[in-house]
Amino acid sequence: MPEKLDVQPGTLALMILRTIDVLGALHGYGIARRIEETSKNRLALNYGTLYPALVKLEQEGFIKAEWRASENNRRAKYYALTPAGRRQLARETKEWNEMADLIAAFLAPRTETR
Amino acid sequence: MSYLRSWWSRIVGMFTKDRADDDLRAEFEAHLEMETAEFVRRGMAPNEARRQALLASGGLTQAAEAVRAQRGLPWLESVGADFKYAVRSLRHSPIFTLVVVTTLALGIGANTAIFSVVRGVVLKPLPHRDGDRLVYLRHSVEAPGGENVLFSVPEVQDFRDGTKSFGGIAEYSPWSFTLRTDGDAVRVPAGLVTGNFFEVMGLDPILGRVTSPDDDGQGVPVVAVLTHEYWIRRFAADSGVIGKQLRLDSQTATVIGVLEPAPYFPDRVDMFLNMVASQHHLSAQMVQGRSHRMTEMIARLTPAATLEQARSEVTAVNTRITSEFTESYDPGSQYRVTIMPFKQALGARAQLTLWLLMGAAAFVMIIAAANVANLTLMRGVRREPELVARAALGAGAGRLRRLLLAENLLLTIVGGVLGILLAIAGVGLLISLVDRYSARAGEVRLDGVALGFTLLVSTALAIVLSYVGSLPKESAFAALISSGGRRVSGSVSRQRLQRGLVVAQVAVSVVLLAGAGLLTRTMMQLSEVQTGLRTEEVLSMTVPLLDQTQVFVPGAQANARAGYERILADIRAIPGVSEVGLGSSGPLRRGGFSLDVKAEGKVQDVGEATPRAEMRTANPEYFSAAGIPLVSGRPFAVTDEERSAKVVIINKMLADQLFPGEDPVGKRIAWTGEVLRFAPVTGDWRMVVGVVANTQDGGLDAQPRPVVFQPYTQMIPISGALAIRADSNVARLIPAVTRIVRRHAPNALIENVMTIAQIRDQSVAPRRLNAALVSSFGILAVIIAAVGIAGVLAFSVSARTNEIGIRMSLGADGGRVERMILREGGILLVLGLASGITAAILSARAIRGLLFGVEPHDPATMIVVAAVMGLIGLIACWIPALRAARIDPAVTMRAS
Repeated sequence: MPEKLDVQPGTLALMILRTIDVLGALHGYGIARRIEETSKNRLALNYGTLYPALVKLEQEGFIKAEWRASENNRRAKYYALTPAGRRQLARETKEWNEMADLIAAFLAPRTETR
Repeated sequence: MSYLRSWWSRIVGMFTKDRADDDLRAEFEAHLEMETAEFVRRGMAPNEARRQALLASGGLTQAAEAVRAQRGLPWLESVGADFKYAVRSLRHSPIFTLVVVTTLALGIGANTAIFSVVRGVVLKPLPHRDGDRLVYLRHSVEAPGGENVLFSVPEVQDFRDGTKSFGGIAEYSPWSFTLRTDGDAVRVPAGLVTGNFFEVMGLDPILGRVTSPDDDGQGVPVVAVLTHEYWIRRFAADSGVIGKQLRLDSQTATVIGVLEPAPYFPDRVDMFLNMVASQHHLSAQMVQGRSHRMTEMIARLTPAATLEQARSEVTAVNTRITSEFTESYDPGSQYRVTIMPFKQALGARAQLTLWLLMGAAAFVMIIAAANVANLTLMRGVRREPELVARAALGAGAGRLRRLLLAENLLLTIVGGVLGILLAIAGVGLLISLVDRYSARAGEVRLDGVALGFTLLVSTALAIVLSYVGSLPKESAFAALISSGGRRVSGSVSRQRLQRGLVVAQVAVSVVLLAGAGLLTRTMMQLSEVQTGLRTEEVLSMTVPLLDQTQVFVPGAQANARAGYERILADIRAIPGVSEVGLGSSGPLRRGGFSLDVKAEGKVQDVGEATPRAEMRTANPEYFSAAGIPLVSGRPFAVTDEERSAKVVIINKMLADQLFPGEDPVGKRIAWTGEVLRFAPVTGDWRMVVGVVANTQDGGLDAQPRPVVFQPYTQMIPISGALAIRADSNVARLIPAVTRIVRRHAPNALIENVMTIAQIRDQSVAPRRLNAALVSSFGILAVIIAAVGIAGVLAFSVSARTNEIGIRMSLGADGGRVERMILREGGILLVLGLASGITAAILSARAIRGLLFGVEPHDPATMIVVAAVMGLIGLIACWIPALRAARIDPAVTMRAS
């Protein structure tokens, strides 16, 4: 079993937003499962990490929550992207990519330099 | 935007906590169920699946806590929790809380109230434009009653001509008029002023105009400027008052304006009139008479001038005129002109009392602060185990500090709020006190600055206490935890601090007690002063029947005399009245009129002050009715008529001054001086037929002044005071007497209706209030100090329980232990007493002006004060000492 990683601060919000963007409105369990699967189980999300992040996103107005019936008729709280959330996702994705490029350039193999 | 928004939802989150908690629980449950279902689907047994799901959650409670922290404002919530905890823990020590809150409330309340008054009366800038440029000039002579003899018009002119420092000199002359409306007559005190008065004073009208130099001199209409207070009282602040005609005596004055609110000075007057309102003020006597002194001077310094310059100029002018006009300034009287800032002149009488109270209140604040500090220190040490337990459970030093801060803040806030309530009540009380002394009492408001300051000080105190106070050092936590937190520590430096505070408390209490003692003795001495009268069952009232403007009309004089005869006859007939007399002023009142007097055949020594005496009149019954004892000779008789030989009765004071060691009866005296040229008296020789005892005219603490009585028939009946003696309870005669006066003189003024007892009380009452206020501060201080001593010793005993237990098991008996603790407290007590008495003797000199009949260092007072403080201190020491003596060595040893 691969060693579990801690979630980098700031990255979790982006992961949640992206997950909801891809799968549509989703409950906490669904979000956690999806993030764990996407990370190939290298990330473990306990409640204490996931839910405060959800509350924070909701407070910032990027997602909104609603209780409704789940696929197997359980009541669950579903989180959906708001327009502001969508814009935030686009902005953060762009910033993250730029940052990743930058870091990649810095960490590129030595041979590329003269 | 999203930042603001999240803050908003966090604040909202604090108030929707319960609902949100339910919601979160449901959400967690749903999560768990879905995860359990998933595990079951993968083939786990349901129980195992549930367990795994719970495991994966990472702890529901922690998660919920994390969410809550995110949802609200955690630090604010924990502050709330701190305060909630503080309330709970203070409720567990009700005595501590009560003592601290009460001391703080009293300290804050008293200080705020008194400082508010001091600010309003002494410190606040005057409402006058550039009020700090105003100066007051006072003319005085070396003689009883010579503190302020006013200026004459030629003198004012000399100062105008001979000085450059003044931008203007205003004249003010006190006068009074009878204002008649339909069927009503009231006395209106007024100021006759020169046209430049308001310009110099820097006061503006709020309605109409004030007088100008155009209103000076003869042949102008009489105009009146109402004071703000009178305008409200008499005219209900009617803005239509301008142009109104007022019937003052026998003339008409037109209201031209209403003055802005301003402190009255030097007298409380209802209106200001131009000089033409009194023909006398424009007469040659007044304008040219150098010793006809009826005018006050208030001047405005030019922007360039200093008070010192003005003072030397004024002195120069005074020196010049006293040597130039020797007939008006006999060298023995030492005519002097002093100059002082107007503000100082206004507050002069209130100042000493106010600073005294301010000092007392500040002392109480010091003691209160020391006490709070001490109690907090002790409480902190006692709860060290609790704090250690908290630290062991994970509370950091910061968090513990916050807890203590919350407690101390809570105490100060409650104390502060109570203090504000006290201050509001206190300001009301003090205003009525200050009203007697200061023209500015009306300006006193509860002072925001003062309140803010005291609150700030006490908050600072709370913060300092929670730091200096009681927190064990972080490095010591481990040691304390391991020792089980049982050790009650009292570090040497902390104990030294506590002892220092106790000594200071005792010392300051002694100072306050000494002040209270001196003031109480003053009051007692004063109320024991004999008025000089034989009885107190005397009612006096002033009923002037002769109009000021008709003084020299013979028919009017006769009418007035006849009116008095009718009134006297009717009053004599009231059952219970034993005697009625008539004089120019009532018993124990000061006559308004002093003149130079000489004795036949006596030559005044060079450099000796010309004797001055009050001129009064009396009818034959006056002395016995008023209860004024006759020392020698005879009272006036009905045979002392207008045209018979001129006779006088003098008081003991004048007899001793004019005829030391001789019997004055049969000798002759006469009025003298320049003033006779315009005063309605002659310089004839008058034979002394009797001598009466001195009476305390003008207050129990006043020096008796020389008085000459002339027969009522031999003098114009300018004013008339009735002296009515009854068998008992003279006050009940007031309605009957008033009815009689009204029947014979429907329009006459009836003034100064007072019994002797009331007149007495008038001079004792302010001292009584002083004494009561300072005494209550003193008692308060002693109680606080006693609590301080007892507390510190009790603390010391409990800290030394082990030691005492060991001593006792080694053979020390209870008495020995008791003495040990007593000695410990006794040292503090003696130190405090010694420094307190020293400080009291040094500082009591400052209140010399408020004392009467007792020296500032009065040994008896100091001894009693020391004894009282010592005794109370000793009792305070005894309680913990007894407790120490009862320590059971077996129990203590086992406990440790």
